[in-house]
Amino acid sequence: MEAIWLYQFRLIVIGDSTVGKSCLIRRFTEGRFAQVSDPTVGVDFFSRLVEIEPGKRIKLQIWDTAGQERFRSITRAYYRNSVGGLLLFDITNRRSFQNVHEWLEEARSHVQPHSIVFLLVGHKCDLDAQRQVSQQEAEKLAAAYGMRYVETSARDAINVERAFTELTRDIFELVKRGDITIQEGWEGVKSGFVPNVVHSSEEVTKSDRRCLC
Amino acid sequence: ACAFYSVDLYCNTFSCSRSYSVFLRTHGSTMWGIFSETEGAGAGDSPSLRQSVRKNLDFEPLSTTALILEQRPPNLPAKPAEEAEKHQQQYEEMVAQAKKRELKEAQKRKKQLEDRVKQEESIGNAALCWSQEILPNWTTTRSSKRVRELWWQGVPPSVRGRVWSLAIGNDLNITHDSGSSHADREASLELIKLDISRTFPSLCIFQKGGPYHDVLHSILGAYTCYRPDVGYMLTYFAAFEVFFEENLPKLFAHFKSNNLTPDIYLIDWIFTLYSKSLPLDVACRVWDVFCRDGEEFLFRTALGILRLYEDVLTHMDFIHNAQFLTRLPEHINTHTLFSSISAVSMSCRNGRWSQVLQALQKDPERASPVLKR
Repeated sequence: MEAIWLYQFRLIVIGDSTVGKSCLIRRFTEGRFAQVSDPTVGVDFFSRLVEIEPGKRIKLQIWDTAGQERFRSITRAYYRNSVGGLLLFDITNRRSFQNVHEWLEEARSHVQPHSIVFLLVGHKCDLDAQRQVSQQEAEKLAAAYGMRYVETSARDAINVERAFTELTRDIFELVKRGDITIQEGWEGVKSGFVPNVVHSSEEVTKSDRRCLC
Repeated sequence: ACAFYSVDLYCNTFSCSRSYSVFLRTHGSTMWGIFSETEGAGAGDSPSLRQSVRKNLDFEPLSTTALILEQRPPNLPAKPAEEAEKHQQQYEEMVAQAKKRELKEAQKRKKQLEDRVKQEESIGNAALCWSQEILPNWTTTRSSKRVRELWWQGVPPSVRGRVWSLAIGNDLNITHDSGSSHADREASLELIKLDISRTFPSLCIFQKGGPYHDVLHSILGAYTCYRPDVGYMLTYFAAFEVFFEENLPKLFAHFKSNNLTPDIYLIDWIFTLYSKSLPLDVACRVWDVFCRDGEEFLFRTALGILRLYEDVLTHMDFIHNAQFLTRLPEHINTHTLFSSISAVSMSCRNGRWSQVLQALQKDPERASPVLKR
């Protein structure tokens, strides 16, 4: 039987509140930009198919978390079951860039025993005149953490597809190489052929993946 | 062979009797008849004709009211009698059907009007009862069975404000002054701003520049000052799961197998007291009973919503469930929702809501394993 999608990846989108997480996801999943958007309460859910190679589709299940501190105790629990993450900051808000380190620490301490492939996203790049974080500076930081860096704009639809597709490709490569495996009781990656596939005990215990975040 | 004239034409000629009679005189010889069952409306007999037209307007569907040519114009061969009879019959059937339809719609309109009047009457009666009997004797009446029942049915908007403030009380002795000063002192102003922006965003009354923006701002400011501890929701989720399993075992099992934990939708609902997820009128009804029964009712409402949509939810996978629950259908019927809520039992084998909650607070180890770290 031909599956609609090869794998399902669960992605988590994090970053300070008001950096534009929900807008970026909406642009990616719904193709539109809403000038006014409500702050996220807890978490919101989105999904979209991405074709990484002709005929090879990945279903992305995207968890849009609330950036506010008060929801942190809840959203923390969502790292563990994510295979990938977009860490957003707002290029016009220096503080949100300074908090990137804190977000990574937070993710790292709650993702065990798994790991998350992160992509650093400098959002609102259409507002170049108000820029407070230079591209070089952000690239340097991303390199230090072993992440890719992309600048996006949900308003002008800049690099939105690229950001999600590159992250998906990176994860797919790791899955192909066996660095990331499907595991029972872990929601990060699921196979599209047999949902909730139970692998051999050998595969289940093979969780010594290198830390990617 | 039949000629229909549109309503426009008909109305135009009818509104001006002069042009109407001219019209009839011109075509009189061709035996034009009025689209009417009433016999004796002879052509040219304009006063009686008009009368019959008026009469017929009571039942005739306006859109098909027209002049009809019963026989062929004289320059064409006449219709055979058989055909003429057939047309006559078809015409009568059409009229009968239209009449029936019109009658049905009139009945429906009448019923709607009656319902509306009835509803207004009951709201009026309830408002009277609240303001004259219940509110003046609040301390004695508030927990009586009758008042509790009236309360469930929804507090009339005219007394809602008074009922809410009496039911909530003011144990913290918050005054207008303490409201604003605390709000100013509070460091979490940013958070409050966000909270306000998500309070009935579509209504705009709480948004910046709206009439209730400042009021809401100072109330929230004062509240965060007094109750910084609010935020321990995990125990509540665990208690919720106990009642969830008891009330809706099938859906509970389905959610469990999909790893759909209550935090995924409860935060969205409870954190905003349903102001984000339900329309204002429905949310007000929830707040009515929330003022009566306390926080327990927020969780009962959650179970009522799950119960209402149980069938669809049991057929959806994780992501669709999560999306459905965080974006509930826009048109929730208050009555249906409340009958669903009333079917939810808030006492289970481990006791009532407060007892279950207390037991869990003493033994946090039993809290939701998914959220525990």
